[in-house]
Amino acid sequence: MDNQPMLKMEHISKRFPGVQALDDVKFEVYPGEIVGLVGENGAGKSTLIKILSGVYSRDQGEIWFRGQKVEIRSPQEAQMLGISTIYQELALVPHLSVAENLFLNREPRRLPALGIVDFGRMKRDAQAVLADLGVEISPDQLVKELTVSGQQMVEVAKAVSRRAHLVLMDEPTSALSSKEVDALFAVVRRLKERGVSVVFISHRLEEILQVVDRIIVMRDGRRVGGLSIEEATQEKIIRLMVGRDVAIFHKEKAEIGKPVLEVRHLSGKGLVKDVSLVVHRGEIVGLGGLVGAGRTELARLICGADPRTGGQILIDGQEVDIRSPADALKYGIGFVPEDRKLHGLVLGMDVKENITMAILRRISGWLAVIRARRQKQIAEHYVNTLSISTPSLSQLVRNLSGGTQQKVVVAKWLSAQQKVLIMDEPTRGIDVGAKAEVHALMSRLAKEGMGILMISSEMPELIGMSDRVIVMCQGRVTGEFRREEITQESVMACATQFIAVSSSEEIALQE
Amino acid sequence: MGKADITIASRDVAVHRKPYTARLAKWSGLLRRTQEVPMLLAVAFLVIVATIINPRFLGPDNSKTLTRDTAILGIAAIGEGFAILVGHIDLSVGSLYGLGGVLIAYFIVTLGMPIALAILLTLLIMLLIGLIHGVFVTKLKMHGFLITLVTMGVARGVCLVLTKGWPIIDLPRVYNVIGQGHVFNIPVPVLIFVFTLAATFFLLRFTYIGRQIYATGGNIEAARLSGVNVDNRVILCFVISALCGGLVGMIQAGRLTIGHPGAGAGYELSAIAACIVGGLSFAGGQGSVLGIAVGAALIGVLQNAMIMLNVSPYWHQIVIGFVLLIAIAFDYVRRRRV
Repeated sequence: MDNQPMLKMEHISKRFPGVQALDDVKFEVYPGEIVGLVGENGAGKSTLIKILSGVYSRDQGEIWFRGQKVEIRSPQEAQMLGISTIYQELALVPHLSVAENLFLNREPRRLPALGIVDFGRMKRDAQAVLADLGVEISPDQLVKELTVSGQQMVEVAKAVSRRAHLVLMDEPTSALSSKEVDALFAVVRRLKERGVSVVFISHRLEEILQVVDRIIVMRDGRRVGGLSIEEATQEKIIRLMVGRDVAIFHKEKAEIGKPVLEVRHLSGKGLVKDVSLVVHRGEIVGLGGLVGAGRTELARLICGADPRTGGQILIDGQEVDIRSPADALKYGIGFVPEDRKLHGLVLGMDVKENITMAILRRISGWLAVIRARRQKQIAEHYVNTLSISTPSLSQLVRNLSGGTQQKVVVAKWLSAQQKVLIMDEPTRGIDVGAKAEVHALMSRLAKEGMGILMISSEMPELIGMSDRVIVMCQGRVTGEFRREEITQESVMACATQFIAVSSSEEIALQE
Repeated sequence: MGKADITIASRDVAVHRKPYTARLAKWSGLLRRTQEVPMLLAVAFLVIVATIINPRFLGPDNSKTLTRDTAILGIAAIGEGFAILVGHIDLSVGSLYGLGGVLIAYFIVTLGMPIALAILLTLLIMLLIGLIHGVFVTKLKMHGFLITLVTMGVARGVCLVLTKGWPIIDLPRVYNVIGQGHVFNIPVPVLIFVFTLAATFFLLRFTYIGRQIYATGGNIEAARLSGVNVDNRVILCFVISALCGGLVGMIQAGRLTIGHPGAGAGYELSAIAACIVGGLSFAGGQGSVLGIAVGAALIGVLQNAMIMLNVSPYWHQIVIGFVLLIAIAFDYVRRRRV
């Protein structure tokens, strides 16, 4: 390995409204090196990659590439420097052939003045590039006919054919079976042989350790450590990923009663397969895992937002048939979605109407007329008990702060007298003070006998607020911990436990 | 890569334009709060100008025509407004206007049905058409624009088939009251309009169904997750829109005593313009029925003034088109704030 880095980034900072996404980050890649970039959700990995690929501009810091100080102002400039990025969502044209995709916008011309494409040469060139990588894909095939891994190979080939010196891959293995992962790694190793460097973002530690030379760990927008492959172990990495000291919130003790929500062998069309869990009265059950583990999908299945394909849901021990959110409302399940603005509130309507949204029908009388006084009373009651800070009941919720909006969503379900509340990232995007208030509120609701299923990607919240934590990975439950047993490391270990069974099942299905 | 470019571009715009958007927001906020007032002023201004140029504008003959035309446009616009409130658009209003007139004349004159039955049957067919629109939109997740575009063509075709291209004439005098009659010296179409307006105001303002329509238009996913039966609300809106379109055709048939297969061609343009001028947003969930009424008044007066001021009828659609363009531009400016 040369001692002169191919890429050197120093003092890189980037701020988004409300978040310091990157804080004085140092990052370097040597020629022909494969670097793994790991960290929890929101640690800043993707932001760093996007600065490098010209999608974001940095606020501070300097970048040297191949010995020169560079400015990367757009993806085109990154491309021209020889930095290629392969995104999670692939950027190929599905209805064009592999060869056409490889040479998109730089097609070899036959009669340059007429702009006629030299298809013969294009095909030969494409074949050469693919063969060189050891990829068995015909250049004539349409991209849409390829599997995801095949498309990824085309992306890699595209990068190589553009003479990339550095290839960035954001979660390249998330959609691949283990066989396909091996094939991808083989290609990556070939890149390395040719002196091309690769940066890999992945949550799958086990996998990433097979291929990288060095691991860089990020947490809360900072680089918290670098490990060479010789010293890296999963345990070490996980400790670096989660080790932080943030105030931990604690749920107050509440009497745990009978099961209020029971889910048995629930499956959906997407990720969620065969999930069973129980939530008791007075209990907060935390649902941990990485983004994309299927937790939100599970929540949406339980509350009827998406159709379930199998399994049972029981409320108070009685099986219920939930086919729509209206059914869930009837049986006493409330859902506080992750994105309140998108799924929780009607921003253009006022506080009063949003609080009573789920019970408009119930509080209406003759000729479907809403009993205005009753509506006002109810809204007022919850504005007072939850201390929702709004100048008036007729304030549009658009004009409220994030924390206040969240309370309005909770108030909506309280007014409907629900027994179970499913809260998806209840404190995301809320400032610290309001966060504590929301936690206190959840604690109080549990005390009053409500069962709460809380999805959270924030470790302190998950550990502090939950009586029990259930961890999901790839749509399945991979771990369950009682309050005393929960540690960040154990949760993270289950969250990154991409079960071997699932990959072999996948293969079995394919064959 | 293309995707990434767009993100960058829009981010840059957002950064550079901040002071402008702030100013814009202030303006559009002002505009939004008092939208109906400047519109009413615009209507008054148009009336005054038209009267100065042609004193007969407010004379007894023209004022009758004016109020009837405006009332009829108002009914169509209210129907259209329901579709726009839930974030869709109904392009079939003009063709259903034609079909309503043709059907009523066909039932009464050609088939000799009793008038009451003919009215009921016509409305029932409109209801079914609206139901079909609603079902396609909700169950197939189709945009209303598409399915109503189909109806726009098909309904017009049915008009031509039923009439063989010729108007069905000689509707009975009793029927024609719906278009020509007066009660206490108020034209019947105006009464029907006032009734439609009042009923819609009541529905949208005071009933849970109305509020759920706003919620559905404002944020369909949030409404659905709150247990609102959003599909039924959307279907209801399309049914009301179709009913209003057919009703307008029936009134106009009574007014002219014929069922004309070409009636109402291009009328959706005026109806949509009235809605957007009146403050409805194509984003859905915003605007009031009073706004629609004012918008209809503006378009109605404008159209009538153009006739009275001898503007060639060939120009009318162009003028209305531009009014719609201005209104849409305002709608989009308002929305950028959100």
